[in-house]
Amino acid sequence: MAVAADRQRRHRGIGFNMTPMIDVVFLLIIFFMLVSNFASAENVPMELPKPFKSQAKQVKLRDRVIINCQISEPDATQGVWYRVGPNPPESPRQISARLARAKKAAAAEGRDLIAVIRADRRLRFADVRVAMEIVSENQIEQMRLVAHVGEGE
Amino acid sequence: MANPTSRSASNVDSTGPASHTARHRERVRRRRPGTGMSLHLAPMIDVTFLLLIFFLLSTTFRRAEGILGANLPRESGPPSVALPISPVVVRLLSTGPAPGDYAIQIDNFEAQPVTFGELTQFLIDIRRNEGFDAQTPVVIVASVDTLWEPVVDCWNAAVRAACKNISFGGEGE
Repeated sequence: MAVAADRQRRHRGIGFNMTPMIDVVFLLIIFFMLVSNFASAENVPMELPKPFKSQAKQVKLRDRVIINCQISEPDATQGVWYRVGPNPPESPRQISARLARAKKAAAAEGRDLIAVIRADRRLRFADVRVAMEIVSENQIEQMRLVAHVGEGE
Repeated sequence: MANPTSRSASNVDSTGPASHTARHRERVRRRRPGTGMSLHLAPMIDVTFLLLIFFLLSTTFRRAEGILGANLPRESGPPSVALPISPVVVRLLSTGPAPGDYAIQIDNFEAQPVTFGELTQFLIDIRRNEGFDAQTPVVIVASVDTLWEPVVDCWNAAVRAACKNISFGGEGE
């Protein structure tokens, strides 16, 4: 009896139960697929303002141009970086030229351009105002500010 | 008609371990008739792991960001709001380098809110006065050295108070 059982065990070898592992793996995949929200390359990483009881809403704007105002890195003393979407930092004049082109392209399709200002919360108002003035001189009438959604500090 | 598989199984040498495995397989096959279709788990698990590793490596959890509607500063562009006689001018002054170093001042009103929560309440309360409603323009005038965060906080306070005409003003306002 014992010999038969031993032989049976030897023939079976060491078993590896895949079922619970696959269960867990699928669970993780479903979790990540539902939770993932791919960040746009236009949204350059920065510390955004977290207003008290933020009213900011997640909306998708079609004809928008994002102006990122960042603290220059790694040396913050170098001033502010202005960049349109994922483009490299540029001077206000170059930014203005980009906006003019974007406005022209939107106007050709009969649509208005919306300027979205994403600015680091540690910047001074004067720094962000430079971006607003660029928007203003291009006569773009619609502007939006970016802040964190939800409860702020 | 004889089964070709069983024939091949019976043809192998019945003494060695290979023959034992073949016999075992044959036994299992006979025991479960009608299991001709089988699911190949290996490629599925490959893909699944690939996806899992992709998500594990690519995911970075970030706070969601949203948009606040805004109007341009009135000094440097065409006016986006037709101003009536009595706009509410909210001044934001910097009192230090830290984000919490600011002071709120409201022109021509006795009540002076200290926090942005109080500012929201103030903007709601003034609608009890004649000539003020949700359409009354709120002009935010920030000093140049004020940090961006309190400026956005101030704007957010006005949006919370359901003010419809909010704009930035120049310092000469």
